[in-house]
Amino acid sequence: MDNQPPLRIVLAKVGLDGHDRGVKVVTRALRDAGFHVIYPGLWQSPESVVRTVADEDADWLGISLLSGTHMTLVPRIMQMLQAAGLRHVGVLVGGIIPEADVPKLLAVGVARIFGPGTPLGEIIEFLRAQGSRTHA
Amino acid sequence: MLDELLARFQARDRLALARLLTLVARGEQLEAIRAALSPKNETTPVVAITGNAGVGKSTLVGKLAEVLRAEGKSVAILACDPQSPLTGGALLGDRARMPTHPEDPGLYIRSLAAPSGHQAVAQHVDLMIRMVAQFGFDVIVVETVGAGQGDIAVRELADVVVLLVQPESGDDLQWEKAGLLEIADVVVIHKADLPGAERLESQVRELLSLPGCREIAVLRVSSAKQTGLTELWSTIASCPRRSTLIEPDGQVLLRHAQQVLAERFQDRAGSVGHVVDRWKRHELDVTQAADELLHVLAR
Repeated sequence: MDNQPPLRIVLAKVGLDGHDRGVKVVTRALRDAGFHVIYPGLWQSPESVVRTVADEDADWLGISLLSGTHMTLVPRIMQMLQAAGLRHVGVLVGGIIPEADVPKLLAVGVARIFGPGTPLGEIIEFLRAQGSRTHA
Repeated sequence: MLDELLARFQARDRLALARLLTLVARGEQLEAIRAALSPKNETTPVVAITGNAGVGKSTLVGKLAEVLRAEGKSVAILACDPQSPLTGGALLGDRARMPTHPEDPGLYIRSLAAPSGHQAVAQHVDLMIRMVAQFGFDVIVVETVGAGQGDIAVRELADVVVLLVQPESGDDLQWEKAGLLEIADVVVIHKADLPGAERLESQVRELLSLPGCREIAVLRVSSAKQTGLTELWSTIASCPRRSTLIEPDGQVLLRHAQQVLAERFQDRAGSVGHVVDRWKRHELDVTQAADELLHVLAR
């Protein structure tokens, strides 16, 4: 570890989606890479995710979606983050996202989308390179 | 930037509170933040929840918060989880066991990483407690890492220390070990819906009735069955405040002074380093350098 304070990242499962294997693997990988990972559990609402990001002063939000609801939930969360004054928080999306939806999610402000099979090191490197937008 | 944050904090901006807590957790700007707070507010009760890993601390804290919200009291929860000694990483999962009411501004949950080793709470939790108290929360709950034995630090932080124990977690000799029952003001037999709760309660009561023991309440609580929760809160609320109980203790003052000194060394690392450099260049002898350091560290 260098002298940077650990990045705080909220990893969230939103909506009626019980597939948490992926997010748990990422949670462990980021923890072992020195991040502070806040995991609020399954079945979060967009409102509770935004509240968690705000109260925890997170640098990043990772949303895991395998339920096909990404085009409904992600834009809503992005909008609510803005409204809550959390424009500076970087957003990642992981899970099953069809190729055609990727540009649409990037267009609403998602920083990066990590699909199945992404090497864990790639996520870690990306976050380290981006660092904190909050405390820059 | 800090001034702006502090001004927003005084105006009860929740995002400013969150950011200031991050700074404090990282040990940054401690002096300036401490100085900006009004004198210690002794009226906000601070409740510490401690006990071994898996005994149900987070779950109980969540349930207790709901009881308090139903009474109209706002609650700030400072939930500590361990940080890896190897990587500095942490999985902060206490939130997952607590209720989320995003529409309710009266509940604030903050996850904190506690450094590994002897500490049961995150660093500078004392300052964080003062911050959330000044922000206006009615009750502050500190959840410890769950080190179990030797959580002495929480005794100084909290007005009331609640120790959770659960059935089938060791024989009565286990409870005799130093440091565990000694720190508690209230003992909760948690998961009281499980078999063995009554036996555990009688064991604990027997230990606590030995000569020389303080008066400690023992309650059976089940978060799963929602029993004993309101009784727990009324027991906590009726506990005398630590601050009114404790005789003025020189040790407390000395520890505080040591802490302030350590913070100043950290905050003023630049000036301290400057003195060290001058000593290295033989511009100062060791006595002069020490005097110079005292000068730098004094206000």
